[in-house]
Amino acid sequence: MTKLETKGIVKFFKHDSHNLMALGGVDLEVEDGDFVCLVGPSGCGKSTFLRIIAGLEKPDEGEVIFDGKPVTTTGPERIMVFQEGALFPWLKVQDNVEFGLKMAGIPKEKRSQISKRYLDMMQLTKFADSFTFQLSTGMKQRVAIARALVMDPDVLLMDEPFAALDAQTRDLLLVEMQLIWEKTKKTILFVTHNVAEAAVLGTKVAVFSNRPSKIKKQIPVNFKRPRLAEDENLTGLQQEILAELRPEVKKSQ
Amino acid sequence: MNKITLAKKIAFYIILVILWQTISMSDIWPNNIFPSPYEVGEDLAYMASDGSLFFGIGTTILRLIVGLAIAIAGGIVLGVLMARIETINQTIGSLVLGLQSIPSIAWVPLAILWFGLTDTGIIFVTAIGAMFAVTINTYTGIKNIDPHYVEAARNMGAKGTQLITSVLLPAAFPYMISGFKQGWAFAWRGVIGAELLFSFLGLGFLLNVGRQLNDVSQVIAIMLVIMLIGMAVDGFIFKKIENKVMSRWGLR
Ligand SMILES: Nc1ncnc2c1ncn2[C@@H]1O[C@H](COP(=O)(O)OP(=O)(O)O)[C@@H](O)[C@H]1O
Ligand SMILES: [Mg+2]
Repeated sequence: MTKLETKGIVKFFKHDSHNLMALGGVDLEVEDGDFVCLVGPSGCGKSTFLRIIAGLEKPDEGEVIFDGKPVTTTGPERIMVFQEGALFPWLKVQDNVEFGLKMAGIPKEKRSQISKRYLDMMQLTKFADSFTFQLSTGMKQRVAIARALVMDPDVLLMDEPFAALDAQTRDLLLVEMQLIWEKTKKTILFVTHNVAEAAVLGTKVAVFSNRPSKIKKQIPVNFKRPRLAEDENLTGLQQEILAELRPEVKKSQ
Repeated sequence: MNKITLAKKIAFYIILVILWQTISMSDIWPNNIFPSPYEVGEDLAYMASDGSLFFGIGTTILRLIVGLAIAIAGGIVLGVLMARIETINQTIGSLVLGLQSIPSIAWVPLAILWFGLTDTGIIFVTAIGAMFAVTINTYTGIKNIDPHYVEAARNMGAKGTQLITSVLLPAAFPYMISGFKQGWAFAWRGVIGAELLFSFLGLGFLLNVGRQLNDVSQVIAIMLVIMLIGMAVDGFIFKKIENKVMSRWGLR
């Protein structure tokens, strides 16, 4: 079943005198439960694409169709996890995680019941009362993921969430991310510039072309899980992705 | 503060008092023009024992608190409106910058004409002198918020007043604290200045009484009190809040 579809998404940005066409008609179809990894040259519009799906930005042309209906605004069924986490430093970890529930007017007791589950899942229970400045980068990203999962979205939109992590922490989270996906059955769109990350996580890898960007190639991934970053079976796939990506990166420079 | 810094400070003030005492004992100026620290201390003790000092402090602080509270509340509302509604920024915003440049004390004649020699008049001067610093800092703070905070919040369903109170204001808080600190400084100067000119109770009034009685040591005594309260508020209250905010917001 198609969960999410984008049809001909075009986005311009004003740059001084001229209009920059960032997205040049992006078509993507995402099945329910898909884990789609999006790779592409830096600046090709991957973040913009996710923000458009989230409803945080309006496309100049094209539409986003969710469960068969076009969407134009933000909604709790499409939740983003930002590159830097964007956690609120004035809130404790638990209150960060409960933020969306609070905005929805859910009473305190109910909120802490729900958040407890996700704090457990992300191994954050010990840190529930910490402030974000007391957390490592990896912990912060866990909080960001928990904060998104609490909303129980159908689609998680993750924008390079592991880009700032050290290698060990990333490897750990790559495994956990697969478990979370299997456990929660979420549909995930995951932007990364790391080809190995895409190969480990995705059920499908979509490669963006250089600006004005389109989806150039979609590569299905069928290895069994949990996959590890150093898995030798994935090397061929990584080469395949790189072969698509490299010319686009060249053009972008 | 480490021990050496503290020792230096204490030594400095001891030397200052000794120097003061020495000059006052010499025959350069008569004692009624340049009193000794002892005489100033005596005056302070006298004003403390008959209660006039504490009544003066209490009156001034009360006016300050009320004035500053009004300034903070009004300043925040105005700052938020300016940050959220461009037309308000372009119109009222330009006026705010102008009003900000008027020294608090210049509002006194207007306050006397409007409110008479009343508490309301003094509080008006205190509040109006402090408000625009809060406004400008609130505005700047909101304009400088990391856009990811706002996007994340909107994505999680925050909008309208909820977005303002649960994201914009806390995210702008480090700036707003500077606004409160500036506001307090203006309010403190404003309230003392207004009390001097209104001559209606408070520390400023006591200064004025000292002048009318030619009592230099009372004037100096009250100035010392004004300075000490100012230092205490800056050094304890604001420093504490600032340190906490800076570390929690990850700014240091
Ligand atoms: N708000 C904006 N205003 C102007 N240009 C923008 C804006 N957001 C993104 N861009 C431009 O659009 C292009 C795509 O940006 P982005 O989506 O962040 O790319 P990516 O995430 O793939 O690195 C970049 O060239 C960027 O400079
Ligand atoms: Mg990006």
